[in-house]
Amino acid sequence: MIEIDNVSYSYEDSGRAALSGVTLTIKKGEFLAVVGHNGSGKSTLAKHLNALLLPTEGAVRIAGMDTKDEENTLAIRQKVGMVFQNPDNQLVTTVVEEDVAFGPENLGVPAAEIRTRVDAALRAVGMEEYAARAPHMLSGGQKQRIAIAGMLAMEPEVLVLDEATAMLDPRGRREILAIVSKLHDEKGITVVMITQYMEEATAADRVAVMADGKLLLTGTPREVFAETELLRAHRLDVPAMTELKERLNAHGAGLTDDILTVEDMTDAICRLLLKN
Amino acid sequence: MRDITLGQYFPGNSPIHRLDPRTKLLGMLGYIVVIFLVKKITVFLLPALFVALVTYLARVPLSYLVRSLKPIRFLLVFMFIINLFMVKTGDLIWGWRFIEITEGGVYQAVYITLRLVLLLSGTSLMTLTTTPIALTDALEKLLAPFGKLGFPSHELAMMMTIALRFIPTLIEEADKIMKAQMARGADFESGNVFRRAKSMIPVLVPLFVSAFRRADELAMAMESRCYHGGEGRTRMRVLHFAWRDAAAAAMFLAMTGAIILVQALWV
Amino acid sequence: MPIVVEKLNHAYMEGSSLAHNALTDVSLTINDGEFLGLIGHTGSGKSTFVQHLNGLLQPTSGSVTVDEYDMADKKQRVMGRRLVGMVFQYPEYQLFEETVAKDIAFGVKNMGIPEAEAMERADEAMALVGLDPERFRDKSPFELSGGEKRRAALAGIIVMRPKYLVLDEPMAGLDPLGRHDILDTIDNLRATLGCAVVMVSHSMDDMADRAERVAVLSRGALLRIGTTAEIFGDAEFLLENGLDVPQVSRLALALRARGVKLPEHIYAMDEMELALSALLGKGGYA
Repeated sequence: MIEIDNVSYSYEDSGRAALSGVTLTIKKGEFLAVVGHNGSGKSTLAKHLNALLLPTEGAVRIAGMDTKDEENTLAIRQKVGMVFQNPDNQLVTTVVEEDVAFGPENLGVPAAEIRTRVDAALRAVGMEEYAARAPHMLSGGQKQRIAIAGMLAMEPEVLVLDEATAMLDPRGRREILAIVSKLHDEKGITVVMITQYMEEATAADRVAVMADGKLLLTGTPREVFAETELLRAHRLDVPAMTELKERLNAHGAGLTDDILTVEDMTDAICRLLLKN
Repeated sequence: MRDITLGQYFPGNSPIHRLDPRTKLLGMLGYIVVIFLVKKITVFLLPALFVALVTYLARVPLSYLVRSLKPIRFLLVFMFIINLFMVKTGDLIWGWRFIEITEGGVYQAVYITLRLVLLLSGTSLMTLTTTPIALTDALEKLLAPFGKLGFPSHELAMMMTIALRFIPTLIEEADKIMKAQMARGADFESGNVFRRAKSMIPVLVPLFVSAFRRADELAMAMESRCYHGGEGRTRMRVLHFAWRDAAAAAMFLAMTGAIILVQALWV
Repeated sequence: MPIVVEKLNHAYMEGSSLAHNALTDVSLTINDGEFLGLIGHTGSGKSTFVQHLNGLLQPTSGSVTVDEYDMADKKQRVMGRRLVGMVFQYPEYQLFEETVAKDIAFGVKNMGIPEAEAMERADEAMALVGLDPERFRDKSPFELSGGEKRRAALAGIIVMRPKYLVLDEPMAGLDPLGRHDILDTIDNLRATLGCAVVMVSHSMDDMADRAERVAVLSRGALLRIGTTAEIFGDAEFLLENGLDVPQVSRLALALRARGVKLPEHIYAMDEMELALSALLGKGGYA
């Protein structure tokens, strides 16, 4: 679905290399989380996925279309929906449903079909009651749900969330994660979630870790978070339970499984206690 | 601060609310012309009746109309007094030293005040029954023919939409920044006008910086939602004239005709 | 002398149809030098509450006294406000001056302190938040990185040498690295200046890690206040009220549900490490 082929990118004003030699393939229907600290290049990478940024070197292909080819730009942006960090700065109009309609309107979809798409999109994010409200009266989480609905109305195949939960409270974050997971599971939408939260990364099929503009490693959440030394070396968070496992093993506890969540830890401890 | 509403839309589903916004916008322009056509106080009765009828049909409480006059109450008083004392035609009613009130003055003062009141209440009926977004749509559609002459009707409408969307956000933000600066000892309340203006710098600079950042991010979000100007763009809500609009136009023309006729017969 | 909040009520839009109570009968005391955490949902009244601590909002009824200055009195408020440094959410958005040093000095200049001394204090504040004065003094605040901007904004409050430092979500929007840095800076400030810290945060793990006492707000009322162990040791209570709990508290809850005997009030990683190693060592399974 998405091929990122040896992509490098330098910002024009500073000349700083934000990405260097990133190669990554994202399969159709996959749920990929990209983690890394600020300045690791993860947001720059996200903006390459719908031609908001074009690679300085290398190429990005979406369903075979090269993002550098201007003729493809609209088709690519229709296929790859993008939700940004600040909930306030991506809603365009004063009425929720008109905002959701903004994308399909730009694509020249006929009026009656826009109506159907908008209703369906609002239902998919559970915001149909808010269709006639003004966006500035909504909470941050609700605004992000509207932003997701705005993408869904364009009927994309890929949903990219560029730190879309960074400014939300825990409740808002959970709502967004639940909606995104549902869209992935039920509609088979490919999800690329750029995030700094481990609980979001653990919900993904695959995690990519970025540091200093490079792809450090990819793998299942269990594989990636087992690499505690590598994560610490790049000053990334190690999940609390993984850390506890390490500490207990230092005392000779002998926990062998990959431990990521509280449930993993509970099972492992109980098994160990039974064995003793 | 969060609850400010722009314009003064009074939510409803009356026949007036349901009129095509273009009809209402053109109607308002026509109404302004008509008001200026009226030369005699007594003839104001007709547009007054018209306003009363529309208000009734729109089910807008009278208090809302009165409220719309509030911002210009000083102007009304000022205009009344100026005309009362400055116009010196007709018989003298009352005089003291150089202050004189004449019959012509009274007439002119009442005439001007009535005209202003009718102008404002009539035009606010439109904003009371039409959402800002519908008005923007109407403006875009009405100005579209001028697009061929290079007039940026779509861009203008888009700008209005974005402004309407972001005004509440920026007001809220200004409130936050003011509080943050007050916590650092900033004083916005004392001193003369000049000092007060200067004390706003710590609020205005961050506000502008933030507005530009928002503009930048919004532009990117719009681009990623396939925005590429007005070309090839469709709308979810299509405006179309209905029989209701024809009826409204007929009613409006009847009023205009009556005014012209009455004045012609009188003068 | 502490901050004493008594029977604080605050209603927004009083007298209109949209009136609602943001705070109801909140009474609590903030002691000298303590680290008090404030948790609760968005809309629970946390932000409204902290704005009363330096008189930016006035109570509808009840009182706030900062070291015996009555914050309802206009003259006393000015004095009280100087004791309470208030760091808002995303404080970097309040930067406005040409240079970092000038911006930081804004607060002390408003206190009537002469320019030269104000600039000296700005340098001092910069050093305290971990910004090298030599490097940052003459930079434009708009050239800094996100994390540096936040530090500069924090220095703009520290410069006033507050006795109480109030922080509303100081880590919002930062990555894990930035979060730890800010938390370390806050701890460091408290150690060097001896100021009390009142911190609002959604991050329960951070709160459990740093706070000494925790107050739980819900729908504008003070639900519970106690030591960090009392609050986070009772994971069930927090979960019942729809709040997050630190991962260690959740683990304690899950293990107890499976019949594992653990000491009371476990919420910190170190305690859990000790308790579990002891259990595993003995192999004691109830």
